[in-house]
Amino acid sequence: MIDATPFPVRAASCIPAVSARQMAEVDRLAVDQFGIRVGQMMELAGSHLAEVVRVELGGDLTGRRVVVTAGPGKNGGGGLVAARHLANGGASVLTVLAAPVNRLDEIARHQVATLLEMSTPCRVASYDVTGDEFARELADADAVVDAVLGYGAVGPPRAGVRWLVERIARAAVPVVSLDLPSGIDADGEAAGDAVTAAATVTLALPKRGLFSDRGRRGAGHVLLADIGLPAALYRLIGLDVGTPFALGPIVRLEVGA
Amino acid sequence: MTANQRRSLTEKLGLLRELELFNGLSDDDIMAIGHATTMTHCQPGQTILSPDDPPDQIHILKKGKVRVYRVSPDGKQLTLDIYDKGTILGDMRLLGQDRIAEAYAESIDAAVICTITPHELRRLVERYPTIGVNIITFLSHRLQEAQRELEAMAYQRVGQRLARKLIDLGQRFGVETVRGTLIEARLTQQELAELIGTTRETLAHTLADFRRRGLLDTANHQVVIRDAEQLAHVAEDGDRPEPL
Repeated sequence: MIDATPFPVRAASCIPAVSARQMAEVDRLAVDQFGIRVGQMMELAGSHLAEVVRVELGGDLTGRRVVVTAGPGKNGGGGLVAARHLANGGASVLTVLAAPVNRLDEIARHQVATLLEMSTPCRVASYDVTGDEFARELADADAVVDAVLGYGAVGPPRAGVRWLVERIARAAVPVVSLDLPSGIDADGEAAGDAVTAAATVTLALPKRGLFSDRGRRGAGHVLLADIGLPAALYRLIGLDVGTPFALGPIVRLEVGA
Repeated sequence: MTANQRRSLTEKLGLLRELELFNGLSDDDIMAIGHATTMTHCQPGQTILSPDDPPDQIHILKKGKVRVYRVSPDGKQLTLDIYDKGTILGDMRLLGQDRIAEAYAESIDAAVICTITPHELRRLVERYPTIGVNIITFLSHRLQEAQRELEAMAYQRVGQRLARKLIDLGQRFGVETVRGTLIEARLTQQELAELIGTTRETLAHTLADFRRRGLLDTANHQVVIRDAEQLAHVAEDGDRPEPL
């Protein structure tokens, strides 16, 4: 479906792919040096993620069923923002959290509060939804958003995160992953089960792991999304990024293009 | 959204405050306390706390795990947290411990809880002064939190006053430039601080915050309003909370 999208195509080789460590430095500089708050970046990430899901579903969210899975960190926060945009767009959204609400990142918790105010259902994996119930939800869904793990994840998934990743990995439904398919780390390795996505929305700069053998098998189409970081920031860490978003806030990266 | 509305959203999620009441006591002391209070052995799935419970009693989880959850209007549960032994649930004015609004707690496994009333707690303090010290420490932290909250509120009001004054000055002395509305009146920070009834230091801090958020630029005693819409929000609603 993504093949015929309105997203402009850029050669992956034109934009530097970064390690987890480099991306962490990018995030740090964004906040500390440029005053761009995490919430601002998260809002853009979630908005773009929802847009990709809309395109994946043929351009109309009305009445479509989307299961949004969210991890306890900022990647999960982006997924929760997407849940709001998807619900606003007319989709029937079920959000499944990898951890109890109080164990989520503070900004993600705030997103949950908003979803509850919107009467968008939220459940916690394994506590509020059983494996059978979740399997039925996945079978009935038109798409799944995988915002369980981001570039900072290391080692095999545990607890609720593993519970979700194992089940999404087995689901026969199109998955759109945020930043990286959960279970595949920023170096492109998978220590256990990993999600196989139809598309991956990676933020600001592509992560190296998306282009490893394992990463390419799991990521599907790689879409680079703009979260508003300036070229001056990239120059501080010696990266020449150019203007990847000259043609739009979401571009499809093509290996070998 | 105002700060109060944001707070109520968070309160609805029922953030539990954990009390480290028994820090510094030996296991034997804690065991003795368990015997001195009402102890209940719970089956897995047994409800320990519900919104209908009588007020002013706390339950201390001595063994096992509990799940705290809320129920949505469609009858579905949302797990807020999982707690291990040592956690205190319920509410007690004496301790400043609030009940989680609309929340239930149930045991996940074979949990043991002891329930304490204010009268029983007084007796415990008499026998174990360390508990009294822990309560003082806890209340002192709460006081510090309240102090910080008050300071934040005071700062909010300065932000609102500054935004209103800048809008007023912009309307009277503003010139449109490519960078935004330049207020041509040259004011020192001391003069601007006096105009809004605050100190120069607080004004400098507030201006720096507004600059960081892209509301304005300052140079050579002049202010350029870069985001009039956002500044108007601050003037109207007070300082806005951190965005999501």
